[in-house]
Amino acid sequence: MRADAGAVAAPPVAVAAEGSLRSRARQAPSSFDLDLDVFDGPFDLLVTLILRDEIDIWEVRVSRIIAEYVLKLADSGEFDLDATSQFVVLVAALLEMKSRLLLEEDVDEDLEDLDPDEAALQLLERLVRYSQFRNAAGAFRVRWDEHAARLYRNAAVPPELLRRRAPDGALAAACLADALTPLLREPPVPDTSHLADLAVSLVKELRRLRLILDDTGEFTFAAVAPPDRLERAVTFFALLELHSSGEARLRQTRHFGDIVVSRIAVPLPVAG
Amino acid sequence: MLPLARRLEALLFISPRPIATDRLAQACACPEDEAAAALDELRAEFVAGSHGIELREVAGGFTFAVADDCAEDVRRLTGAERPDELTPALLETLAVVAYLEPVTRAEIAEVRGVSSEWALGALEERGLVEQQGRADTPGAPILYGTGERFLKLFGLASREQLPPLEEFSLSAGEVDEIRSRLHANAERRGQ
Repeated sequence: MRADAGAVAAPPVAVAAEGSLRSRARQAPSSFDLDLDVFDGPFDLLVTLILRDEIDIWEVRVSRIIAEYVLKLADSGEFDLDATSQFVVLVAALLEMKSRLLLEEDVDEDLEDLDPDEAALQLLERLVRYSQFRNAAGAFRVRWDEHAARLYRNAAVPPELLRRRAPDGALAAACLADALTPLLREPPVPDTSHLADLAVSLVKELRRLRLILDDTGEFTFAAVAPPDRLERAVTFFALLELHSSGEARLRQTRHFGDIVVSRIAVPLPVAG
Repeated sequence: MLPLARRLEALLFISPRPIATDRLAQACACPEDEAAAALDELRAEFVAGSHGIELREVAGGFTFAVADDCAEDVRRLTGAERPDELTPALLETLAVVAYLEPVTRAEIAEVRGVSSEWALGALEERGLVEQQGRADTPGAPILYGTGERFLKLFGLASREQLPPLEEFSLSAGEVDEIRSRLHANAERRGQ
């Protein structure tokens, strides 16, 4: 019979693993959604349900959880070292709990506590129930032998969808190579020449404007703006950044007129 | 032959799947009981042994099937293959699903006493078991059940045709024998 971690009291070593899982689960800051056979919902909830014995840890495939997490990481494009470390610790605790249960020799400890007659009665009930299905399977076998090979009226699969069987030994290995080679060939690099390369970054532009501002104390947008429209937009963003950080004052006397940028003296922080 | 029976024969000939009586009646714009009577007549016409095909009630409707003694010729012509054999483990898992559906993997494992993951996967692959949504219990596990292919391969008109599970219960004598063996074991453990 299977050791059913959900139905029987966990053995002592498993309890120790459970304790560490419990404390780690409390610290886990992140959660992500899982779509497993036995569970559909956030990872945190899965851990909670395992701890509350509402989900049997035997039914949970930890490899699937890891695969889903890796997918999530790839999807988000961000790597949060803290959250990932917590996840690894939590998964390790799950694996530890599962493997300890596997190795535990005395999983039937609760049966030891039972009165032998009571244990025999429980076992009898399970055996009687199981026998019904085993006998039903025998009856299924009889029906299968009688009916499974019958050919019913059905619509033919369109020829283009038919899975063709390769004639045995008729194809040379070279045919396989011919079939696979096009798949291995690198596809041509698409032409991106029509896409403009952004020559200036916001950080670089900020640095340039700060230098001009330090040197001259005041300048106009028209004087410093590059000719390219996109680069000009970056220069404008840099101006707004200077304004919002309190480094420069912007003035525009009329609509669509030039913008005058002047330095604001930054008071030095008072020491002490 | 009644004209209605001929019309039903045409519908059954063209339909790739079993059709229920109510749909046949709808297509012929006639009352359901008239369609049922005409189906009886068709069934008598296509009774086993008289034609190369038979009219059968299977998977919730009526359909034509190749007569069993003609099946080998059809296989040679079409290359149709027999379905793969089912192992005892697969049949046992299938019986649990068929009688308890919709059922979760954990419930199947509880009845059988072993993990049934592989067996369920193999049955799904053969189209004998299919996923039927998720249970409204903690974790929302997947529910499994049987479908049209199961009914066809086991020659059943519907799941109601399955014999009651109680028919497969152990006899009182068998239960007594197991009980006495278990008690003997229990006494040995108690000493």
